[in-house]
Amino acid sequence: MRNIRAVIFKELIHILRDRKTLVLIALMPLMQVMIYGFGVNTDVKHLRTYVYDQDQTYLSRRLVDSFVHSDYFVVEKKSFSLQDVSAGLNKGRAQAVLIIPPKFTADILKKKGSELQMIIDGSDSTPANVALNSSQAIVSAFLQSERLIQVPVMPITFQPRLWYNPDLKSTFFMLPGLIGLVLQLMVPMITATAIVREKERGNIEQLLVTPIKPYELILGKIIPYIIIGILIAASIVTAMYFMFQVPIRGNIFTLFCLTLVFLIVCLGLGLWASTVADNQQQASQIVMFFAMPSILLSGFIFPREAMPVVVHHIGYFIPLTYFVKIVRGIILKGMGFGDLIAQVWPLLLMAAFVIFFSIKRFGKRIA
Amino acid sequence: MNNIAIQADKLTRKFGKFTAVDEVSFSLPYGSIFGFLGANGAGKSTTIRMLCGILAPTSGTGQVAGFDVQTQSELIKTAIGYVSQRFSLYSDLTVTENLTFYGQIYGLSNSDLKNRIEEVLLLSGLDKYRNRIAAELSGGWKQKLAIINAILHKPRIIFLDEPTAGIDPISRRSIWELLYQLAESGVALFVTTHYMEEAERCNTIAFISRAKILKIGTPAALKHEISGQLLQVECSPLMKASRVFSKLEGVIGITVYGTTMNINVKDLEKSKGLVAKAAKEQEINIVSMQPISATLEDVFSVLDTERET
Repeated sequence: MRNIRAVIFKELIHILRDRKTLVLIALMPLMQVMIYGFGVNTDVKHLRTYVYDQDQTYLSRRLVDSFVHSDYFVVEKKSFSLQDVSAGLNKGRAQAVLIIPPKFTADILKKKGSELQMIIDGSDSTPANVALNSSQAIVSAFLQSERLIQVPVMPITFQPRLWYNPDLKSTFFMLPGLIGLVLQLMVPMITATAIVREKERGNIEQLLVTPIKPYELILGKIIPYIIIGILIAASIVTAMYFMFQVPIRGNIFTLFCLTLVFLIVCLGLGLWASTVADNQQQASQIVMFFAMPSILLSGFIFPREAMPVVVHHIGYFIPLTYFVKIVRGIILKGMGFGDLIAQVWPLLLMAAFVIFFSIKRFGKRIA
Repeated sequence: MNNIAIQADKLTRKFGKFTAVDEVSFSLPYGSIFGFLGANGAGKSTTIRMLCGILAPTSGTGQVAGFDVQTQSELIKTAIGYVSQRFSLYSDLTVTENLTFYGQIYGLSNSDLKNRIEEVLLLSGLDKYRNRIAAELSGGWKQKLAIINAILHKPRIIFLDEPTAGIDPISRRSIWELLYQLAESGVALFVTTHYMEEAERCNTIAFISRAKILKIGTPAALKHEISGQLLQVECSPLMKASRVFSKLEGVIGITVYGTTMNINVKDLEKSKGLVAKAAKEQEINIVSMQPISATLEDVFSVLDTERET
């Protein structure tokens, strides 16, 4: 116990004395919250739109207005030629183009039927999808509101509702998962480099001839980083609650307990990386090697449901997959420990596995 | 109490097919300094690692402070101090922070530790730098810190792996003064070094070359063994002479020192004649030629050449 305490104390001095790293540790989580909160917004709105209105009547103008009022489209320019329209799309100034044919109103009133065209820049799939779906909805709503079609009496009234995130805000979706992302990015890295540093600077050589046991050294070195990990998680939770009004519906204690389990997995990864690497640079490369697929395949950004079967199954071996579900479950849906059992046990298993093997490897490396 | 600090008996360590240490035997009493000499890679560090209990010998036995190196390595660790070749304390911690950390690891109680830190700081003269970050100490002070760090828990045996490598002569002298003080207080010191004038300061020295101990003895005895077989020749051109003389019969080796050379020979009188004759034939101008007593460096180079031939 005394030895562990001595190592913890010494490690804290290292951390506090290394100002640059300390600033990084403090700023990185906040920076990520800002980036994902303000920057990474998958709610596509305000698409730049060119309007080529060849009709110029009240009805055509009302149609344009209903596009604008939807908030999905902004009239970037009123065009007067097809050349201008295609140039706008080609040069990326327009993401969508609305082309209203001549005699639009006249044809409608004569019940002849008119053709309305929208051209969408399909090179970026997300805004293209939004433009496609919303334009269809806008047009059919327009038809109803202008009483251009009879509203039929439906045998079924279909009323979909969105729970947990009714406005489909991407901050609600992104920020809770960010706790996992930041821990996955930072904790293995700082743990691995802290341990490898002892090897690199020859400190291990001196420790070897002291009566300290490998497990005492490991625990002493790891505990400060557990504290740092918890502080990182707390700072993200605070930032997303106060800056982005993400509601925390579940129990915060459950959240931190399970965060601790995930932290242990991350620490184990760092520890394992430190037994493989000879220097700090190698250690951080190994850690990054695992961090990238974790982030991409865990469902943090891309839905796992959309992945091919093989890739989907790889996700089951990634700790972040379970943790992302856990944090979203607790924060957005107010889930409790019992609801999350399916996610908790794989994570516990991984924690036990990674700690057992890395300590075993660490002991061997030292001997 | 038994007066033997270290007893090694045919200690051997193999790494695969490579034998790093081959049947090394010696004994070291408390209160004396043992100099372990040898080229890089000769097996010095492996021997130290075995004696410190961090590397198990392949065969042979060893007792350090009465504990067996095979089975009681954990007990050995509490009984010894170790100063490594490279500064291995924490360079971003201050002098006292380093001492506190290691003192705790060695199990000193807080009050004992406090007193002990004061003692060793005074002993080494490091008290004026007590709050300095270790990285900011000069090489000599760093090494003194490593030494007092190794004696915090009052071990009766200290291993020092090239404690003065790369350190200026004045600091080296004061480090040796510190080591003498320790030896005087009854501590056994096991020191490896490349510096021959340092080897002369030891009570006993052993030469190790390619895993085997070639000679063990007091510096005086070792020098005596080959004195009378050294011929000091001052001549010019020196390098040509060195080439010519090295081919003569009975010459074991030649060491060049500035304007003179020491020729190790098997038979002094016979070689004198051969050298003079060769000099005449090859137009080498001999200024002086006389038998001299050996330095340890001579002993070392003779031993090494003997082993090669």
